[in-house]
Amino acid sequence: MNPTPSLLTTDALPLKGIRVLDIATIIAAPFCATVLGEFGADVIKLEHPEGGDGLRKFGTPSMRGDTLTWLSESRNKRSMTIDLRTPEGADVFRQLIAQADVLCENFRTGTLEKWGLGWDVLKAINPRLVMLRVTGYGQTGPYKDRPGFARVAHAVGGIAYLAGMPKGTPVTPGSTTLGDYMTGLFGCLGVLMALRYRDLTGEGQYVDAALYESVFRCTEELAPAYAMYGVVRERAGSSHNDFAVPHGHFSTKDGKWVAITCATDMLFERLAKAMGRPELATEDTYGDQKTRLAHRHDVNEIVRDWCGALTREEVLERCYATDTPAGPLNNIADIFGDRQFHARRNLVAMDAPDTGEQIVVPAPVPRLSETQASIRGLGPKLGEHTDEVLRELLGLTDVQIATLRTRKAI
Amino acid sequence: MPETTSANAAPAPQALDGVRVVDVGNFLAGPFAASVLGEFGADVIKVEHPIGGDPMRRFGTATERPDATLKWLSESRNKRSVTIDLLQPDGVQLFLKLLAKSDVLIENFRPGTMESWGLTWEAIHAANPKLVMLRVTGYGQTGPYRRRHGFAHIAQAFGGLNYLAGFPGETPVLPGTVPLGDYIASLFGAIGVLIALRQAEKTGYGQIVDVGIYEAVFRVLEEIAAAYGLHGKVREREGSGSFVACPHGHFRTKNDKWIAIACTTDKMFERLAVAMGRPELASAAMYGDQRKRLAARDEVNRIVTEWVGSHGRNEVLAICLREEVPVGKVNSIADIFADEHFQARGNLASVPVEGLGEVVVPGVIPRLSVTPGRITHLGPSLGDATEAVLGSLLGIEAGEIQRLRQQRVI
Repeated sequence: MNPTPSLLTTDALPLKGIRVLDIATIIAAPFCATVLGEFGADVIKLEHPEGGDGLRKFGTPSMRGDTLTWLSESRNKRSMTIDLRTPEGADVFRQLIAQADVLCENFRTGTLEKWGLGWDVLKAINPRLVMLRVTGYGQTGPYKDRPGFARVAHAVGGIAYLAGMPKGTPVTPGSTTLGDYMTGLFGCLGVLMALRYRDLTGEGQYVDAALYESVFRCTEELAPAYAMYGVVRERAGSSHNDFAVPHGHFSTKDGKWVAITCATDMLFERLAKAMGRPELATEDTYGDQKTRLAHRHDVNEIVRDWCGALTREEVLERCYATDTPAGPLNNIADIFGDRQFHARRNLVAMDAPDTGEQIVVPAPVPRLSETQASIRGLGPKLGEHTDEVLRELLGLTDVQIATLRTRKAI
Repeated sequence: MPETTSANAAPAPQALDGVRVVDVGNFLAGPFAASVLGEFGADVIKVEHPIGGDPMRRFGTATERPDATLKWLSESRNKRSVTIDLLQPDGVQLFLKLLAKSDVLIENFRPGTMESWGLTWEAIHAANPKLVMLRVTGYGQTGPYRRRHGFAHIAQAFGGLNYLAGFPGETPVLPGTVPLGDYIASLFGAIGVLIALRQAEKTGYGQIVDVGIYEAVFRVLEEIAAAYGLHGKVREREGSGSFVACPHGHFRTKNDKWIAIACTTDKMFERLAVAMGRPELASAAMYGDQRKRLAARDEVNRIVTEWVGSHGRNEVLAICLREEVPVGKVNSIADIFADEHFQARGNLASVPVEGLGEVVVPGVIPRLSVTPGRITHLGPSLGDATEAVLGSLLGIEAGEIQRLRQQRVI
């Protein structure tokens, strides 16, 4: 299947008029800016003149040199170089702050303060500013100065412990940067709420988001169950067997995988029908969840055998025919071939500037019926918009810009 | 031990004061968006079927309250419960009256369900043109699979996340917690709601926010689409490691616990080499370069595994922290409860629940400096606010409420 051509529409972007300065790196805080940019905010990425954001080197390089993740996740952003450690750079930054609505940063705690650019200073320049601060452990607490990476946050926040086979090595929960994205999302929510309050009262504020907290917040009843009953949840493989059976991943004859979830007795009855064995769902057999839980090994064995004798398509067709909750474990090749992804236009193909290399990236989420998000360009080149921003926002002349450049402030 | 947090704090202004959210969803996908909005001041009215209500009340670990599992208590925080039978025309009329007094509607029925009760977008929009509606389903409102079951487990598998969790060539496992996709889809949904609310306040018109769980998950898989589109590279399960950096994974300590180490850059590896007492490993001739480490990943991982395995967890941690190596414990929930940082940040909120004593749940994130979120109470009992909402908010007289109750509309 061919990915959809880009959604190049700029009309009715709901965050038009909001200016975001993104001085953060890699994914967590920048992803907040990415989402705001998709919905129309003017996002200016401020990068160190030498090398810029580390995301430019994180992952598979494109023909242009910047990585694919950079091209995808820095969509819609403008890039300006600035060295905040030079007095001139800090001065330019303060002038930009005066014209910004949102600042996204993820330096280690105390770094901006060390440069004389802490919250109190920025708030004095622009009382309406909303600032997102993302770190591994948050702005407070005994670990606040430790380096923060999503891998470590998954571990500290409690989900790495839960991913893997029982008693086996804990594995990556699908993607090493999941916690970064989740923190970007929580941060983005915080920013939008703070913007709302700002619009009503004129008062800005900062949002303090920690990688480990975003992960921990999404652990459903892990904490209350430990507090009340002392239950320490362990790794459960592919199956969440505490409440429902069968519930997991099963391999098929063609070496692929399906997910099947029978949360209720009714759903198991449908699966039994799909397997051509309705007698499995009677009162005397496995019709009751409690019986299935007690005999989970046998039940899983039956489902495993059934799946193993059919291809993935056959298993899914039979499950869909009886409305049993099931689906493929898609890899990226499956996804590119899938009708639903195609119909929802989840894959957007765009040409990288300069090289013309075609890059396929995930479309914006969520989908708004009247004011859709859009991808208007992929990640910019380092410093591509430095002069433009300095002229447009600060009214600097070519000579002033040249001076800043000579002093390595930009 | 957990400290009592925001539950008893003096009320500060909140960013979403004055926003009313009607949450008619079941389980988590969508309702979690309402939970977050409620933490930041929105008045969230959970509309439930009079018999039994939201099935999440019975899903998960039971408590002594028959209408509340721990999952329900935690994730329905701050909500008020109103019972309405939407299968009855009187129930639909009542529901539309409630929507007329609200700002946001959140639902997660399979597409077409609400329409079959007469609750089309046209009818809803006519009842309240400013209303914003969030619809979360497994596959979104459009496309060929829109009617399929959308449990998180299956939608996550479909979106490509579950395929990636586990060891290469082995059974794909759950990426930590089962409903991760529900949480992620809800976060995107809540962002959409805040953006659409902003627009509605400007223009007077609400709109639909449409999120498929599968696409929310797919959106956060960094370069996986671009790398397949460009190079045909299918990302596979990476166990506890990472394809882009080494060493980057989980390692077993001498006392049979686990730690996470993330050497994303050469500098980080240099620090680890020093921590291990083997600085020579980070030389150019040996493993100083990321590409060399990736090429020799088995050997590098073996060295780290051996070193970690010869020390206790606290010892490894102390040495790595001293050298500023990104490191963290792979925490179980028992570890989390004992952790000083979780305590200092108030991540474990202890909230009194009538009849159950104190229930410990994850605290509110993100942290807003001026308008912090808070937990006023945990999941309500079924219909606890029916009379209050019908009487005070909708102005329905006592006699009529009595009639609705007799006819089991409420």
